[in-house]
Amino acid sequence: MDSSIKLLLVLLISFELAFVQSIVVNILVIVLGMSYLLVKKVKLQKLLLLIIIPIIPVASTWSSFYVNGTGDFIHSAWLLSSRIYAYIILGGIFSFTTSINDLLSSLEQNWHVPSKFVYGTLGAFNFAPRVRNSMLQIKTAALMRGEVLHVWSPQIFFKAILLSLRWSDNLSRAMQSHGYAENNVRTHYRKQRIPAWNWVLFITIFGVFQFIVLKKLP
Amino acid sequence: MIDKKANIAYSIRDIAFIALIGIFCGVIFFTTNISYNFLTAALTTIGLGPVANDLLLGLWMIAGPLGIMLTKKIGSSVLAETLGGFVEMVLGGQFGAGAIISGLTQGIGTELGFTLTGYKRFGKFNLFLSCITGTIVTFIWSYFNEGYAKYNFSFLILLFIARLVSISFFDGVLVYWINQLIEKSGIIRRS
Repeated sequence: MDSSIKLLLVLLISFELAFVQSIVVNILVIVLGMSYLLVKKVKLQKLLLLIIIPIIPVASTWSSFYVNGTGDFIHSAWLLSSRIYAYIILGGIFSFTTSINDLLSSLEQNWHVPSKFVYGTLGAFNFAPRVRNSMLQIKTAALMRGEVLHVWSPQIFFKAILLSLRWSDNLSRAMQSHGYAENNVRTHYRKQRIPAWNWVLFITIFGVFQFIVLKKLP
Repeated sequence: MIDKKANIAYSIRDIAFIALIGIFCGVIFFTTNISYNFLTAALTTIGLGPVANDLLLGLWMIAGPLGIMLTKKIGSSVLAETLGGFVEMVLGGQFGAGAIISGLTQGIGTELGFTLTGYKRFGKFNLFLSCITGTIVTFIWSYFNEGYAKYNFSFLILLFIARLVSISFFDGVLVYWINQLIEKSGIIRRS
């Protein structure tokens, strides 16, 4: 399935889930999503992490509804904690089975997003591993001067902004020197069209989801 | 810097810059994720878990006000936050696909503070306004999304205050300090 269609589907369902008051629907999304990830042969280790990471927020949601909820608070507790898992699985469906490159080129070719947005973010995303290292460097460098940088210290953001400025400057200059022109029409070596069956599948899944939601399951 | 007119003409440099700020803020947040989980865990035992969430929300949202204060582009707060949410989902954050939608609402919330004065000023007053609009818009979203509608009223007030305090500090005071550092250094006066 085309990655932009997949993202659209995942976002629409996520958005709708915020208003659905049914534990069964959440569990259905979780089970179906998990089976999809298993069919797609996502590593078990990754799937386990997907389940383990949110344990604390899920427990926290559950207990706070138990203590502070009104009305049918047991239902709310299960509803909202299962919703977190549904979101996580939906996120996993997108991030484990698609690549950013695919998504961005589909957005450019099929959705006519201006190429500067596509290549600007693509360039920035490729800096992501360096962002992590630089953050460590900034913190260590400060430690060597006996300063501990916290998230509430302006310096840490100041340094991050300095780097962002420099890298975005370098990136745009490098692209321009390689002949990139912002507003020109571009041709594509790798053509990425959305096949018709993608739309059929999209409408079917979304339609079935509406059908399930309208059943008003508990 | 205040006299520079806001516009919507993004160059590729602005876009890469905004995206990088989003990624940096995401990484900064992720390095604190552990302390976030400890805070949540501690408060969970007494049923106050969401308070931890609201106390840190301002930090979540910091890419938005930074993006708009530094680039003075219309829509840059929405762009920065949505990208931030996307980065978070891809890096495997604990809020999954919801992060993009929450990012969008956070960006819109912050952006409104500047929209209300027609993007004419980018100073203290607008930061203050954007903290208020940011709190209100994200709270409305949480009301549905995180089920705040089902809490009792006094807990709801507590959550609202925690969120307002957090957003006022991180997206108001801290962003103002950072902006002062940047202006003093003079690095932002790019062609």
